[in-house]
Amino acid sequence: MAAATCAALHGAGVVLLDENAVPGGQVYRAAVPGVSGAPGPDARVGDRLRAALLASGAEVRSGQRVWALGGGPLVAPGAAPAPYRVDACTDAATATIEARSLIVCAGAHERIVPFAGWTLPGVMGLAAATILLKSQAVLPGTRTVVAGIGPLLAAVAAGILAKGGRVVGVVDLASRTDWLRQLPTLAERPPLLARGAGWLARIVSAGLPLLSGHRIVRALGADVVDAVEVAPLTGGVTRRLDCDALCVGHGLVPAIEATLLYRAEHVFDRARGGWVPVLDGSQRSTVPLLYAAGDGAGVAGAAAAPLAGEIAALAALADLGLLGTADAEQAIAVRRGARSRPARVGAAMSAMMAPPGDLVDRIPPDCVVCRCEDVTRAEIETAVDVGARDLNQLKHFTRCGMGPCQGRMCGEAAAELLARRVGSREAVGTWTARVPLRPVPMAALLDRFDYADIPIPAPAPI
Amino acid sequence: MVHPNETAQTRITVNGVTCDVPAGRSVAAALLAVGIRKLRESPRAGGPRGAFCMMGVCQECVVHIDGHLRQACMVPVMPGLSIKLGAGTPAVDTLGAGTLGAGAT
Amino acid sequence: MTPQFDCAVIGAGVMGCTTALFLARGGMRVVLFDRGPLWRQASGVNAGTLTMQMTRAALVPYALQAWEMWMSTPGWLDGGDVLARARPGLSVAFTDHEVAMLEERARLRRQAGAPIELIDAARAVAIEPGLNPVVKRAGHCPIDGFTSAYLTGRAFRSALVAAGVELREGCAVHDIAPGFDLRADAGVLRAQRVVLAGGVWLEPMAAWFGVHLPIKTLINQLVVTERLPPVMRTVLGVASGLLSLKQYENGTVLIGGGWQGIGNRETGPIAVHPENLLGNIRLAAHTIPALREARLVRSWLGLEGETADALPAVGRLPGIADAWMIGCVHSGYTAGPYLAKLLAQAILGQELELPLFPIERLLTQEVA
Repeated sequence: MAAATCAALHGAGVVLLDENAVPGGQVYRAAVPGVSGAPGPDARVGDRLRAALLASGAEVRSGQRVWALGGGPLVAPGAAPAPYRVDACTDAATATIEARSLIVCAGAHERIVPFAGWTLPGVMGLAAATILLKSQAVLPGTRTVVAGIGPLLAAVAAGILAKGGRVVGVVDLASRTDWLRQLPTLAERPPLLARGAGWLARIVSAGLPLLSGHRIVRALGADVVDAVEVAPLTGGVTRRLDCDALCVGHGLVPAIEATLLYRAEHVFDRARGGWVPVLDGSQRSTVPLLYAAGDGAGVAGAAAAPLAGEIAALAALADLGLLGTADAEQAIAVRRGARSRPARVGAAMSAMMAPPGDLVDRIPPDCVVCRCEDVTRAEIETAVDVGARDLNQLKHFTRCGMGPCQGRMCGEAAAELLARRVGSREAVGTWTARVPLRPVPMAALLDRFDYADIPIPAPAPI
Repeated sequence: MVHPNETAQTRITVNGVTCDVPAGRSVAAALLAVGIRKLRESPRAGGPRGAFCMMGVCQECVVHIDGHLRQACMVPVMPGLSIKLGAGTPAVDTLGAGTLGAGAT
Repeated sequence: MTPQFDCAVIGAGVMGCTTALFLARGGMRVVLFDRGPLWRQASGVNAGTLTMQMTRAALVPYALQAWEMWMSTPGWLDGGDVLARARPGLSVAFTDHEVAMLEERARLRRQAGAPIELIDAARAVAIEPGLNPVVKRAGHCPIDGFTSAYLTGRAFRSALVAAGVELREGCAVHDIAPGFDLRADAGVLRAQRVVLAGGVWLEPMAAWFGVHLPIKTLINQLVVTERLPPVMRTVLGVASGLLSLKQYENGTVLIGGGWQGIGNRETGPIAVHPENLLGNIRLAAHTIPALREARLVRSWLGLEGETADALPAVGRLPGIADAWMIGCVHSGYTAGPYLAKLLAQAILGQELELPLFPIERLLTQEVA
């Protein structure tokens, strides 16, 4: 939103494409009228960003799923770079937009390290629970276990309690000392610290089991989850918690499909969530006129994201000749300065969300890793035994990553498992990026056509 | 599982059965609110599945909505919506027993 | 220096892997190179179609033999399974022009040994209930089918290792000096014989030997749907050859036909060509209307080599003793295992049931 607003205010022709019905992404999701109740602090920040966007003159196309990207450097060999081409569709129709530059703000999606029973209905992500609480006013369950690691854990537990729901346990991979270690950085942003303290107070006063340094051993149930078993990380007695919902999350992973598709350089940076595009100090990727901002460029938190968006817009304006270089540099410097503290705190939060390394090692052999294709850890390990050394060969050998989620749910765990055998995440690589960026209905692409309209190329020789 | 002050409902059908669900929600959230968590079975192993990410990424909530395969978390409930759970995909083991060859462990 | 290997094979796709396998089983010490992981180029990303109706007439006898091999891989590939499935094949015509094309092509392929009969629309729809009833005529061949091409690498790798082939994946060969001394990523290696099996890269490989062999690079697009309920039961094509359509047992439908994407031999595949993707899926949806309800999940690109006369390059490298080449079959996956088996027999000095495709003829022509 911030990038589009900034660019439009400087006179650029801007189109903002967003999948959701109203802009806001995950953190700054708009309240749903008649549903969400009074907007919380994030929704209010989001409302300000939305108002500015509306007033800026940028064209906002909501409910548009970008399924294909082209142009830019993706041209016939030897040809000059073309305008960026973006194909976006609803369920019914698709449209193409061309532009001189492209700013990608694809955000991040949640990482959940597989454990036994994680595929049972009623098990969902912490981000999923957040969406239910913030914009759907629906509780995850009547007796919910909240588990995983990072600030989102407390936010979701407190959020459920605030909506009158029942939390039967908070199962935190981090220990109390882990939290205390991050306190100085969190203290740099008093509102955040206050919010965290508020969450903690609510959880503590509810008197529910708060299990620090514990992991989920398994989720149990036949058709839906009805209990979880938890145990201390350091070993010890397993404890059972009856529940009808389990909300679990292990951090955020930047969504890099768009920048990968354009063959921008990427680097593996665990602290920022994994593979991230290589960017200069002004959000420029290694591909001309392609920029990235927000968590999709490396997890740095919601507060830092709008500033990064503005920096990307200013860099694009300068590169397009719509703003003087000196003016742009000055404006960028101001924002870079303003961004450093929230980015530092965001980085600390990202670090807090990283699960302990051995969580991957604990994945049982018969546990599904690729949910779409039911590929287990044992099958992945066997594929390595018989010669798969990188993610794409693993895909060929097992179908892991070939399902409709396009490797988003299994990619991290699969890559970590491979990296333990092959040596590094860099060696294992990323899934090859291809269109469509999301599954796209044929009906949206086909439109009405006559057979004669189909430009059938010259037939193969006989 | 819905906020206590909520009253507005929308009437839809789920597998042919009429059902009142909270208005204004995504289909996934609305079904969850009335206790429907299992939405389909995984194609290869037939395991029970339901909405997981609520944001259009995981594809676990794909069901038939008015005859079209759609992600339930991305579609808002509307009056008269017809939902069929268990999007019909064959549960055939794609890799088969003999993929690995005699030399594989 | 004594050669460490009796034969070095360069390129680990269907041609290179099958040649290496049969050479090793014939008693040779074989090393197999690929600059990437094996079976990841054309051989691993093609549509896996085992059809006579898109095979060039001259190749039909080879494709028929190869069809038998694909249908029986557990027998000769150490149990390796590529999920080969026999299905009837239909090549359909929607216009009068296509009917004429269909009749001519069916005739030529029938002469070459493919059991293709021409059938009317009613019979076509009876064989393939999912077919658009506006079809005018179809070629029907009972010998057709498909594999899951991406599984082939895994199936072959175990057999290669079991046969004692030395695998050098992720190891590019940079040039070959007489002897033969192969200068590769991992160092210099000497082999008595060399087989070039590099697909579209056969042109630069031939250049190592000073042989100028123009190879045209086709950038083929493919797209696959999510899993669907059954919508078709045959392997489908159109008379022009520009559609390949099949539904796997897992429900996914694979759409191809040689529509071109963006890329070249040096850069590799770059991007899908959006208009060609649209044309391809329109053709598919016209042929099997139920596909309109599907979601597309993935597209990809593969590089296919074509010689000046669009016939294979299989035989001795002209003027160079103990150097051989195999590739650019145009539907190489379909006929590949049999062609490669023949080449291995030739190298082992055995008698061949069918002739190879001598390279000499290609050195006097220019690619169109």
